[in-house]
Amino acid sequence: MAFEPRIVGFLCNWCSYTGADLAGTSRIKYAPNVRVIRVMCTARIEPTFVLKALSEGADGALICGCHPGDCHYVEGNYKTMRRFAALKRVLRTYGIEEERVRLEWVSASEGARFAEIVNDMTERTRKLGPSRVKVQRAADTAAR
Amino acid sequence: MAEERIGVFVCNCGTNIAKMVDGAAVVKAATEMPGVEVACAYKYMCSNPGQELITRDIRDHGLSRVVVAACSPRMHEGTFRKAVERGGINPYFLEMANIREQCSWVHDDPAAATEKATALTRASVQRVTHHQPLEKRSVPMCPATLVIGGGIAGLTAALELADADQQVYLVERQAQLGGNVARLDLTAPYLDSARDLLRDRVTRVTRHPGIQVLLESQVVGLQGFVGNFRPTVKIGTGELLHLEVGSVVVCTGYQEFDATRVRQYGYGRLPDVITSFELEAMLRRGKVETRAGKTPRHVAVVHCVGSRSREFHPYCSRVCCMTGLKYANEIKSAIPEAYVSNLYVDMSAFGKGCEDFYKRTAEARTIFLMYEKNQAPEIRLAGTDPEGGMLIAMKERLSGEEIEIPSDLVVLMVGMEPRRDSDEVARLVNISRDKDGWFIESHPKLDPVATTTDGVFIAGACQAPKDIPDSVAQARAAAARILAKIHQGMIAVDAVYAEVLEAHCSGCRVCNELCPYTAIEYDEVARRSHIISAACKACGCCAAACPSGAIQARHFTDQQIFAQIEGVL
Amino acid sequence: MADRKLQIAIYWGAACGGCDVAILDTNEFILDVAALADIRLWPIATDGKYRDVEAMADEELDLTLFHGAVRNSENEKIARMLRAKSKLLVAFGSCAHLGGIPGLANLVDLDQILETAYLSNPSLEPGNVTVPSSHSEANGHALEIPRLYPRAYKLDQIVDVDYYVPGCPPAPAQVKGVLLAIATGALPAKGSVVGASDRAMCDECGRHKSEKLVKQFFRPWQIIQDPDECLLEQGIPCVGSATRSGCGVRCPNSGMPCRGCYGPLPNVKDQGARFLSALASIIDSRDPEEIEMILDGIPDLMGLAYRFGLPASLLQRRLPS
Repeated sequence: MAFEPRIVGFLCNWCSYTGADLAGTSRIKYAPNVRVIRVMCTARIEPTFVLKALSEGADGALICGCHPGDCHYVEGNYKTMRRFAALKRVLRTYGIEEERVRLEWVSASEGARFAEIVNDMTERTRKLGPSRVKVQRAADTAAR
Repeated sequence: MAEERIGVFVCNCGTNIAKMVDGAAVVKAATEMPGVEVACAYKYMCSNPGQELITRDIRDHGLSRVVVAACSPRMHEGTFRKAVERGGINPYFLEMANIREQCSWVHDDPAAATEKATALTRASVQRVTHHQPLEKRSVPMCPATLVIGGGIAGLTAALELADADQQVYLVERQAQLGGNVARLDLTAPYLDSARDLLRDRVTRVTRHPGIQVLLESQVVGLQGFVGNFRPTVKIGTGELLHLEVGSVVVCTGYQEFDATRVRQYGYGRLPDVITSFELEAMLRRGKVETRAGKTPRHVAVVHCVGSRSREFHPYCSRVCCMTGLKYANEIKSAIPEAYVSNLYVDMSAFGKGCEDFYKRTAEARTIFLMYEKNQAPEIRLAGTDPEGGMLIAMKERLSGEEIEIPSDLVVLMVGMEPRRDSDEVARLVNISRDKDGWFIESHPKLDPVATTTDGVFIAGACQAPKDIPDSVAQARAAAARILAKIHQGMIAVDAVYAEVLEAHCSGCRVCNELCPYTAIEYDEVARRSHIISAACKACGCCAAACPSGAIQARHFTDQQIFAQIEGVL
Repeated sequence: MADRKLQIAIYWGAACGGCDVAILDTNEFILDVAALADIRLWPIATDGKYRDVEAMADEELDLTLFHGAVRNSENEKIARMLRAKSKLLVAFGSCAHLGGIPGLANLVDLDQILETAYLSNPSLEPGNVTVPSSHSEANGHALEIPRLYPRAYKLDQIVDVDYYVPGCPPAPAQVKGVLLAIATGALPAKGSVVGASDRAMCDECGRHKSEKLVKQFFRPWQIIQDPDECLLEQGIPCVGSATRSGCGVRCPNSGMPCRGCYGPLPNVKDQGARFLSALASIIDSRDPEEIEMILDGIPDLMGLAYRFGLPASLLQRRLPS
């Protein structure tokens, strides 16, 4: 059976989650590989959530927030931007491919854009192949 | 923790969900999830019988948690929370899985859609076991109001509130009230006296027992939250006043565009190129004349100076067209034999009485010359003598001809722009500015006077260029909103907010500067940080930053989100 | 059974010996310990053998203090043996608690380690091709040495642990406290971290804290520090806000930033991730390029955030390419 990536999406209530809902009301079709977790603001998202998703075997993590300057909570997305910059560096050291974790800005009116991002990320993650986290853990245990 | 008893309700939404997601399969998978006591599907869960089903099942099966897999929570979370409450358990013991907008409506493979719906349902089941019972609370509302700015908007808001027997503090930077309207002679389109209009208001405000006017004063600090603000005002003597108010209305107005920036108009170089405000001063003195003291025969009024421009401000300043016509009328009235031309891009005569005003001005033999946006005219001396008049070169659009208009006096209709100190003000009261620098309203259509900071309102030109009637309307709207809150007496605090777990806070202060609502304060004595729950908007950024995990974002705790992550994979 | 001496063992996995020194650093107290207890195994200080431990009955030992990470088959074998033979097994010190410094080896592959140590190291005799392996034969004799694992583990990833005593090493005062608690039976709930508080270092740190907004990060020697102000506020990345206190704030009191050895706070799953979130949150910039530049001021972000806790983190190890 062909590999189907499982990607955890973290969407902020006011912009990106609404944008994703808009894709729905507009009946825009996109890949079913992203499973969404709603938060009020991307500022709630800690690097821990992304690491947790990856350690549970997620093939990718997608964070979507409001465009800079448009955050419902004034500047939450800037904090996300900074945390994400730090997280990316550490992910690189962990050997996690850059394209597996992505931060995107999607406004409440950008249903089509959300669909595009999901499709694009699904494709890229498919090419990268399944996450090696659990496989590696099993291999380490077998080596003992 | 006691075993939770979870009810899972899958909605078919007619065929909206059922067409793509196999509801029966989701129900079957749900019955096997840990803690699930009962699971079923129904055609319209949000309908009365659907809600009844939930309410009844809670009672009949002793459910302690409910998961509804249906449309987006943004649609019906409120509906189902009420149904859950009617069933006798806390409304926050509900979690929804979005299997419509983000599943059945967007996927075309039924197997994949069903698998995803199952995963989302499982995530909700796992999350809901960690939900806490949350209760709404109320805090008292201080009835006094701080009005920042003593222009037409500020004076109106102050009067509206004080006339309703509420205490108002009106803070004005300058030594007198009136703002920009105090610089005007007459107003368009009816040519009423601005002075009379203002004098009446200023007198009433100054005499009103309910309004404390603080001139030459400035707000230098604003602590607290809606219903309980603590502003600090620096008054003329340098002394600091500490006040207590429940609401704030920002009426700081605008400043005019600096015409020297448009080099081809020669403002600052050519003595007889003046701004609209400089003309107002002349009109108030009663004499329109050139710098040399001569009566001008040819007067040109140039519209859109600094506005609707790629180079300066992209927006329209709204009032200048009618004001330009006002000048045409006033100059013709002062100097009947003068030739007046209005050089314009579009004639924006949107308001009441304005089209008639336009027509009348045309009938008064004003010449209207249209130029192309971003192809502004050029003003230069006609000869070498600075008192020898000027020539305005432009391409007239309707005829398509390049023409030169002689002028003794040119009036530049300088646009409105946000005040130089508006970013300071915004930061002080914790509101945002849009890309052009105007203060942002809560909703552009439905909530134009509130801001994202509860209890802080904006009125007048500080929100966007506008005329006197609109400024007055907004000021009264803000006052009405405040009076409604005062009438209620208490402010309801949302049950979802963040709180500092005292026992775990080390006083590191990482969170202190992060809150956009300044809801986090530091207790110097106890050396702990504390969140004012009434001011907290639950964005969660402090919870995510706390290095000790001492801040819990209620209803979005780490534990709940971890459970969701595990469930969804 | 009255007046029976406590039977204890102190053992090391992939360790440096610092924890043993910390126990000895309790000075005269160790004599009290010797009076109260029979130390049945303590490789650094006494003469016990593995076969002595094998011969014990299950739970014959009242207490084992296990320090060091689990990195090879011997560490695991003895950890399991000691677990069976002990009533209480305590993960003592950062390595046993979180993986410790040896845990940073989880950032490299086993091949790289062997290659660097035995083949490409400049101090080696050129032409050496011998790399140790767990099984070798020479002159008709076979030799088994412990098998090196592909990564390091903290103790509770291998066996069930009763208590954790954090620190690299634990402060002598705490060692005393823990041993006394065990001797008197005054123990908290199983699984607790003992000898450290439930609040972060900032609680005990006497430096003054104000607004945390940082525009630049520095190495400790790059600026003249203000000894009374918070180190993090001065741009020196101190992990103290994400670390349990109880060590007496030894490092910041000496002008060095806390490195996180006492491990995460009770509500925190992954200390490094938490710290990264806090660190990034206080960066005073909204410009993506400037943010990158400011982060460049910390040459080794992983090492800073996960110095002691990599095996304890969510991902636990680098994924080999």
